[in-house]
Parts: sequence; C-alpha cells; structure tokens
Amino acid sequence: MAELALARQLRRSDLARGGVSLWIRSGRPYLYLAPFIIVLGAFTFWPLLQTLLLSFQAWNLNPDVPSRFVGFDNYRGVVSSSLFGAALANTALYLLAAIPLKVILPIPVAIFIWSLGQRGEAYRVIVFLPTLISFVAASVAWVWLLSPLGGYLALWLETFGIRMAGLLTNADTALWTILGIATWKGFGFNVLLYLAGLTRIDRSLIEAMRIDGATDARIVRDLIVPMLGPSIVLVLITTVIFTMQQVFTPIDVLTKGGPANSTTNLFYMTYQYTFVGFNVGFGAAATVILCALVFLVAFVKFRIADRLVHYTD
Amino acid sequence: MRIRHLLLAIVALAVAPISASRAQQTEIVIYHYQTDKRHEALKQVFRRFEAENADVKIVDIFKPDQTITSDVQAALAARRPVDIATIAGRNVYFMSRTTAAVPINQDAGKAAFLDNYLPQFLDVGRRGDQVFAMPYAFGTPMLYYNKDVFRKAGLDPEAPPKTWDEVISAAKTIQDKTGVAGVAHLAAGNKDYGTMLMVTNAGGTYLNAEGDKLMFDSAEGIAGLQLWQDLVIKHKVLPIANDAQWTAAFLGGRLAMYVTSSAGLRQVVQQSQGKFELGVANYPLFPGRSARKVPNSGATFMLYAPAGPRRDASLKFLAFMSRLEIANYWSRESGYMPLMKDPLRDADMKKYVDEFAYVRPVLAQMPDTVSTYVWAEKGALEAQSIVSKLIDDLWAGKGPASELVPVAVRQGNAALAKTN
Repeated sequence: MAELALARQLRRSDLARGGVSLWIRSGRPYLYLAPFIIVLGAFTFWPLLQTLLLSFQAWNLNPDVPSRFVGFDNYRGVVSSSLFGAALANTALYLLAAIPLKVILPIPVAIFIWSLGQRGEAYRVIVFLPTLISFVAASVAWVWLLSPLGGYLALWLETFGIRMAGLLTNADTALWTILGIATWKGFGFNVLLYLAGLTRIDRSLIEAMRIDGATDARIVRDLIVPMLGPSIVLVLITTVIFTMQQVFTPIDVLTKGGPANSTTNLFYMTYQYTFVGFNVGFGAAATVILCALVFLVAFVKFRIADRLVHYTD
Repeated sequence: MRIRHLLLAIVALAVAPISASRAQQTEIVIYHYQTDKRHEALKQVFRRFEAENADVKIVDIFKPDQTITSDVQAALAARRPVDIATIAGRNVYFMSRTTAAVPINQDAGKAAFLDNYLPQFLDVGRRGDQVFAMPYAFGTPMLYYNKDVFRKAGLDPEAPPKTWDEVISAAKTIQDKTGVAGVAHLAAGNKDYGTMLMVTNAGGTYLNAEGDKLMFDSAEGIAGLQLWQDLVIKHKVLPIANDAQWTAAFLGGRLAMYVTSSAGLRQVVQQSQGKFELGVANYPLFPGRSARKVPNSGATFMLYAPAGPRRDASLKFLAFMSRLEIANYWSRESGYMPLMKDPLRDADMKKYVDEFAYVRPVLAQMPDTVSTYVWAEKGALEAQSIVSKLIDDLWAGKGPASELVPVAVRQGNAALAKTN
C-alpha cells in the first residue's frame, strides 16, 4: 500500500514536471479505448438513457407531436395491464423450462460425443446443424410441419389413424411447442460450448480414476461435471439471455403471442406496445422493467457461480 | 484546348435536357404493400399516370402489409419523404389523429373526385367533414367452396349454402361422407376483423363511433360469437388453425368451405385451376335474419405531401386513381372490389363481369357492406388482445358466449378507458 501511494505521488510530480509529452503518454491508453467507449456509449448507454427518459413520457413516434411528461403513469399502465401478467408468467416459465432442456440436457450429449473422439465428428455436425438455420425460416417450416390441416406431421399420424391436434392453437400446448422448437434450434450451440470445456480436461485424470476403480458415473459426477463448471455458468447465462430474446422470433411467426396470451413474453409485449400500438411510453416503461429483471437474474446467477464454480487456471 | 472545350459543350448539351426535365419533374413517394401481379398492375397505373403527367414521377416503395403502418410511422418520424401512404382502414382514425395526415378534401375544389366513391367505402376515411383516406384496396367476405367435394358428398354444387344453418348442415354431411374438414371463417387482424364480422352480421355493434368503447355484449353480439363457438365445439365443423393454414388447406382440397375476403379471388381462382372446381357464394346469413351486414375491410391511400408541387401532384394522382376506367382497371387486375358508384357504366368492366362469373356474387354483395369499425388512438392494443383471448377461450370451450363476452367487453373497455 505504501509503495502504491509512493508510486502515485511520484507519478503526479512526474506529470507536473513532464509537460505535454508526458500527458500524451499517460493518456494514450484512453485514446486506444476511446473508439470502443464511443461506440458503446452511442449504441448502448445513450439508447438506455433515452429509453429511461421516454418511459416517463407519453409519445406516439410522431415528431410533430411533442411528448408529454406523465411521471410513473406508464409504469402503472404496463403493470396493471392484462398483457403484463401473462407476459411475466410466461417469461418465467420459458426461463425455468429452458434450464433443464438447454443447460442440463446438452451435458450428457456433449460427454457422449467427446468420448467418441474423432468418431464423434458426424454427431457434432448433426447436433449443430439446426443452429445454422435462420430462426425465421425454421419457424415458418415448423408452422407447416405442425399444421393440423395437412401438415406433414398430421399426414404421417393419419397413416396410423391418429388425428393430430393443433399444438400451436391450443393454449395448453402452444408454449411448450415453442419451447421445443427453440430448444431444437439452440441445443447444438450449447453442446459445442460444453465440448470446448471438455477439451480442457486432462484425460490422464480420467485414466487415473479408472485405475482406482471408479465407474463412469463416478467419473462424470466427481471429475467431469465440476471441471465443466465455468462452461456451465457460461451456458446458463447465455441461455437465460438468449431464451428471453430468441423466443421473440417463433412467437411472432407462429402464434403472435396467442392463443389466449399463452405464448407472449415481456420482449414480445414490449414490441407490441411500441411498434403495433405506437405507445412509445408504455414500450419504454416495459423495456426498463425488463432490463431490471435481466440485471436481477444475472446478478443472482453470478453470485451462485462465484460460490459453486471451481476454476483450475 | 479547343477540342476540350468542344467536348465539354457537347456533354453539357447532352445532359441539359435530362437535367432540365428532372428539374421540372415533381417526385412523389407512394408507400404500398402490393406484391406479384398486384404490384405489376399498380405499376401500370403509375406508368399511365406518368404518361399523362410528364411533370410528375412516382417513386413506389413496397413494405409488407403487416408492417406498413409502422414503416410509414418510422419514415415520418425520420422525416423521409412520404407523399401518399397505404394505411389499413382500421388504422385510419389512429393515423389521422397521431400523424400529420392531410385531409384530402382540404381544398374542396380539388377533391370533387371523392364523390365518385360509394359512401360506405369513403366513410372509412371520413372524420366529420374531413376525408383523410381514399379507399383503393377493399374486399368483402365471401364463401368459397369446393364443388368437387360437394359432389362427392352428394350435395348440389350449384346450390351453395345461403345461411349459417345450411353451412353447418353441409359441413357435417361433407365430413361424414368424405372426411374433408367442413368450414373455416377468417380471423384476420389477430381475430379483430373476424369478431367484427360475426358480431355485425348477427345485428350487433362492435365498437362505438369514436372507437373507444366495445359494444358487442348485446344479445345480438353474444349470439354472433356463440355461433362461432358452436362451429368449433358443438358442431365440430371448424378445425382450429390460422388464416394461412386454412387458406392452404382449402387450396389443397382438405377444407370444403372457407369464408375469406374477395380480395384474394383472382389468386384463389388461379390456384384452384387443375385441382378442383371452385364455387363462390355470398357470406352466409345469420339464423333468423333476412339481410346480411358485412363490414368491408381493406386499405386506403392517405395524403402526407407537404403543401406545394408535391401535394398538387399527389392530389392529381388520387384524382387519376378515382377515374372510373382507372379504378375499374385496378379492380379487374388486382381482384379488389370496384369502389365506384355504378361501376358497370364502364364497358370494359361490364365485359369483365360477363366473362368472369366468380365476381358476380361479389358485386351482388356490395349493397350489404358497411363501413369497417375503427379503433381509438390509445388502448387498442390491450383491448384487441382481450378480444383475441376471448375468441381463443370460446374455441377452447371455457364457457358459453353469454358468460365470456360480457367479461371480455368489460375488461376491454377498462383498458380503453385507462388510456383515452
């Protein structure tokens, strides 16, 4: 601490004596950071600030009509709307269901592919292929696959005498159907992240455990999963964020938030307020609420990660 | 040096006429959502207008129909040129209140062409004495049916159902004897238009004139929506899906009857050729009623051009579009309804109707059309969401219309009252 204080004191006196060139040299790191800061400020922080300001205004995107300060009316309006309750509940459901499907399920798949070594390449390609397809194109394809009136799945089931129900037109099944499609789409990406984590595990440790008589289950439980900790945290965080964002596309293409608001979520609700209802104040208020929720979720996850994850390097 | 000067002079002389004509030409920007053959037909209209008006050049900008209203809003907010914009009828009131839309009849002397329109279509854009929107792409709901399936079920294909009771009876017979699904009814606009149609045809009122109060919790409105539930739950003749799936099923021969807009008539005729024999009939009458009442649905042109040459040119275009022969040409080529008073005064239109029999029921139904309902500026999103949920709950059998409709209307009106 004393050395640090001395170094700082020396630096200040250096600056006082050294003139312009010293200022330039000491300011150089900030110059290198400037482009990044400017871009981040312009495209992230400034819009966030604008959104916060707009959330207290009543405005309809018309530049000829001035916005009007309404205080917390927009927040009250959003929270008290029937859409908000359904959107919040569905957002929570999407998140909770995504964890076993997209965070836990890819682990054994990744371990299986990894255990095959080079022979696992074909499986890697098959699992990753859906990730490469555009979500819009995939959603449109699923609309027709799942159509109860002549969709491919319906026609196939008819050959067995089974009449297919409308999965996307039934409030009890629509959300799970969208979740299934989103899982199919993003599963390969998470498997790839786990595979990257598995390559860092020293196989000699596995051999050592085998020599000691450990079973496969024990090796997975006591060695592989703990060492995959950082990867699990990464997948958890990306899954939470992508689940909330990416389901917008299948919702918009497949169900438009219906039937009976059973598939809408906070992102879709925000879009509807701003670009369908042109109620920018409501949309901005919904965005601020959404941001707060995302920060909360991320904070909780990081706290858990700090306690549970073991970093080897 | 002299050669260089000579070359420069030649180039200047060559460019000068072009520059001069460009300097004299007024450019007007028109937003629309027409695609494929309709876009070709609209471009023909633009070229014919430009041929008659050499001092005007039209820039046509395509935007998808589902996003055109927000695209126009965005263009206006960004101060990009928008002279004429295609706006759906149900959004006209909203756009007239929240954007700088110019009343087309602001200068009465330049708007006499509006008198050519049938009043039930022009009323969509009318607010008091001001007319904010000129109709140009409208349809009316018709009953399309598959004559081959009718024959297979032992029904007379030349005697289509006239009432909803007859539709239900025919649908049941078809399902029992052929296995083909019976009937579907378009939902459209997140079930807003479908609900409006069912309610209005049953004699109910969907919205008040200001668009800020739902009114279909009357006996007639409830009866109209009970019918829609009965088609799904009681009679099991309407398979739940969405408009795109019903359309595909009908064109694929897996749905016997489909109530949808006449705007798609030409496409349906074309796509059914070689697959099955198509029939077109009028929208079914509600049980116990002798007259039908169907809200029209479609799009209008709204004027945004600033005062000066662009507005004059835009008004000239709107006047051109409303000439009988041009409006009828557009109707024939696009498949939209003819919107002019007495459209058969035009010999080409008369010949078209004589040759294209499918359009005759559409023309016969025109006196039954009423102006579409329009929503208020605020709160519409939540109220429409409540209406959509109501229909989903009815189709899921969560209760009869007499229980669910009053609750939904109360919730919808609370949402509208909160923000208006």
